[in-house]
Amino acid sequence: MKTAIVIAIIVLADSAHDVLLTKGMKQVGEVSTIKPRELFLYARKVVSNKNFLAGFFFTVLYFFSFLAVLSWADLSFVFPATSLVYVAGTFGARFVLGEKVSFQRWVGILLVCMGVAMTSLQ
Amino acid sequence: MTNQSEPRSRRMKTYAVLALAVLAQAAGNVFLSKGMKYVASLEHAGALDLTAIPLQAAGNPMIWIGVALSIAFYILFATALSWTDLSLVLPVISAEVFVNVAFADYFLGESVSTVRWTGTFLIAAGVILVLRSERKKALPPCQDQRVETVPER
Repeated sequence: MKTAIVIAIIVLADSAHDVLLTKGMKQVGEVSTIKPRELFLYARKVVSNKNFLAGFFFTVLYFFSFLAVLSWADLSFVFPATSLVYVAGTFGARFVLGEKVSFQRWVGILLVCMGVAMTSLQ
Repeated sequence: MTNQSEPRSRRMKTYAVLALAVLAQAAGNVFLSKGMKYVASLEHAGALDLTAIPLQAAGNPMIWIGVALSIAFYILFATALSWTDLSLVLPVISAEVFVNVAFADYFLGESVSTVRWTGTFLIAAGVILVLRSERKKALPPCQDQRVETVPER
């Protein structure tokens, strides 16, 4: 039960991190220089971006939850189980955003769930 | 440099950075797992666990190496995201599940069973299906057959 709760936190934090980090980095733009001064200015732009900061918060939450679960569970179970992030994303898209989810995607979700169930058997 | 070779070289650069990111992450996870298992195996005084465990973890070099490799992964992943779309990055990142299980098997001696490997295979197949359906939705019909094209910024 303890492992399931921590993995649920990891999955939710990972989903939030992916979306917010992508949004933040797109807003800031790509790295196009290796000049120290311009790199410093770029880094300042990155760390002052709200989406990047929010993404970073969820990364920290993900990281400490991941550390905690590794103290008692196998990496070969914990890491594949974090793929449930795709299941969370699909249910969010379907039931929160009301998006249409394709049959192919539902099959993918079913495979991920079956895979996680199998990795938990050892 | 031609217009055709520019996106191709950028794509190769992105894949190289992502390959490094996956290796750094898997190696980092091995160190973190070793470090945390060691910390958890130490004797702790019941109610003091909440302070004792983080302090022991902070003083463990394996945790710091794992953290450094995780930061390297984070920087490489963020750099790749700034070059291309998440839809192109994620299929490569989905390979990480195999690399992590293989590293856990080889370096941590977790002796991964056939059932767990089969589960890992199903997860990777499922992730690919999910990501392919997302990409189809994101691309206009005329670009659907050119999935290898890196979107121009």
